[in-house]
Amino acid sequence: MKKNRPDICSRFSARIAVLALSVLCLMKDTAFATQLHARAEGIITHQFGHLFFLFSMVALIFTITGKDLARQKGWRLIQYAAFFFILWNLDAMAAHFLDNQIDAVKTLPVSFACIKIIARNDSSLLAWFYYALKLDHLLCVPAMIFLYRGISKLVDEQRAVLKEKGGSQ
Amino acid sequence: MTVSFLPILAVDVTGSVAMVVIAVFCLYKAKLLREMDRDNVVFLYMLWISTGFTLFSISRSFGHILKQFLILTSNADIWDAISPYSGSVNTVSFMVVGLTTLFFNQNWQINEKILAGRKKLEDTHVKLMDLNQTLEHKVIERTERLTSSEHKCRRIFEQSLDTIIVTDADFRIMEINPAGISLTGYTREEMIMKKMTLGSFMANQEEWESICRKIRAREFILNEETEILRPDNESLLVLITGGIDYGAFGCARTFHFIIKNVNEKRQMERQIAQADKLAALGELSAGVAHEINNPLGIILGYTQLLLKEDHEHRADLKIIEKHVQNCKNVVSDLLSFSRKGSSEMTVVDINKVVDGVIKFLSNHSDFRNVEMSLNPYTGDRLNILGNEQELSQVMINLLINACHAVDGKGKIDVSTRRTDQNRILIIVKDNGKGVAKKYLSKIFDPFFTTKPVGQGTGLGLSVGYGIIKRHRGDISVKSTEGKGSTFTITLPAEIPAE
Repeated sequence: MKKNRPDICSRFSARIAVLALSVLCLMKDTAFATQLHARAEGIITHQFGHLFFLFSMVALIFTITGKDLARQKGWRLIQYAAFFFILWNLDAMAAHFLDNQIDAVKTLPVSFACIKIIARNDSSLLAWFYYALKLDHLLCVPAMIFLYRGISKLVDEQRAVLKEKGGSQ
Repeated sequence: MTVSFLPILAVDVTGSVAMVVIAVFCLYKAKLLREMDRDNVVFLYMLWISTGFTLFSISRSFGHILKQFLILTSNADIWDAISPYSGSVNTVSFMVVGLTTLFFNQNWQINEKILAGRKKLEDTHVKLMDLNQTLEHKVIERTERLTSSEHKCRRIFEQSLDTIIVTDADFRIMEINPAGISLTGYTREEMIMKKMTLGSFMANQEEWESICRKIRAREFILNEETEILRPDNESLLVLITGGIDYGAFGCARTFHFIIKNVNEKRQMERQIAQADKLAALGELSAGVAHEINNPLGIILGYTQLLLKEDHEHRADLKIIEKHVQNCKNVVSDLLSFSRKGSSEMTVVDINKVVDGVIKFLSNHSDFRNVEMSLNPYTGDRLNILGNEQELSQVMINLLINACHAVDGKGKIDVSTRRTDQNRILIIVKDNGKGVAKKYLSKIFDPFFTTKPVGQGTGLGLSVGYGIIKRHRGDISVKSTEGKGSTFTITLPAEIPAE
């Protein structure tokens, strides 16, 4: 009986791998195909990627809530991680939109320690907003920390379950 | 607007390094989780997602660090060339993470199904264990009851004082209890190895065939009276009850018999009936003899008075005297039989009486061709309290009867014995023609005789019976027609006063 379960898992893993490979093949780099592609295709694909990532994180939050897993601390922490990744995606999408898509902001190195932010219409508000967006690690690092803590908590809970099982036997 | 680049640089570089480190830790923890329960698909999913995040972090952090390094080293053009590839790898990595995440629900459902299946399997296992245990308990309980029942049946079979026999469809012995072995006189091995049938014990095969017909027709027999013959030729009267058993679980058809030994009971009943009959006859005979004896005495007296004178009918009177004398003898015998007479009792040695009678008779012409043998008891003297003359008369009557039975040319064996019950036996055995079964109950009746008219009065054995009874003894006969008879006299031994 036990032997069948890893089979299901490995079959499932194989499907994921095939799907991922298919996605890879359809990525920006496949623009070497016979059809000509504009340079903007890269950033659009990248933005779609962020959007897809964002959407999957939203789905994860709702799935965890829907299955009433948020009552467990581990899953709640993973939910927080998903939330921070959503914020990070929004941050990244906004930054890419401003500097790559509509060219509303440009940066020029002034010295080792300084840069010049040239915002459209010399808007300092936009410049400062862009500056804040550039500090995106302040969102993705906490997301990763929450993910780590969530998985750690799941490990602890599972360890407790195994200990309880071992004790009851 | 000119701003400090250092915060961006610091956050970018440290954040990138932190991302890689934390992602690796996540991967390690996810691997631990997976190791804890390899059957859990959700944990496998966590490993996948952690792997995706690690790839994403490494690709992104590598890109960011490289970018900062190339810009700071004034190699921005190189970064411009690399950045599309770095961006693409980055895009692919978080798309993989996103894609993996979207499968969370399916993963969860699969895991739920697996867990539900496992739970069902465990429940079924528990139920099966429970059923198995219940079954084991039931088997143990039934086995105990069966053993107890078998033990009871076995005890009944082994301890029964009546014979229990199981035979096959052809009445061959399959099982016999110890009482049966004792009754039949054969060993169990003999009966089973030689495939003896129940019929082989029967003295009368016609009776047995009749019993077989009945049991085949009605499937049972109830208290059928018959005789069985032991290997020592002793026959025993028995009651047979039996039935058919069709068997269970495809076993062959068998017959079960219960055989009750009623030999002693029947013998006792016969003896009682005989004693009652003879007692009644004795009373009658005594009455008749008494009434006849007096007139006979008067007739004899007057006849003898007339004979003293010289009478012209002297010859006729002699005939009257002779026949009256005969009548008186008969009356005297009748009185002896009915125990009405009196006799003097003294201590008598039975061996001496028997020896005297044999010596006396061996000189008689009727015994000339008869081979007579005496096997006396060689232990203590066989003393009894009795009348020697009467006992001699009984022996003479028995031996004369034996002589007639062998037609004057056979074998007569006389033996004496003392039993453990302090009784003395006198056994007279001949190899003559025997007595028919139907006459056995009548041979002690007064005037019963199988001899032609005029050759015997039929009072010999009756008188013997009366005498033995008067001596507080018993007389019995066993006879097989054509093979001979055995008369056994049992007398109480005289116990000397200490």
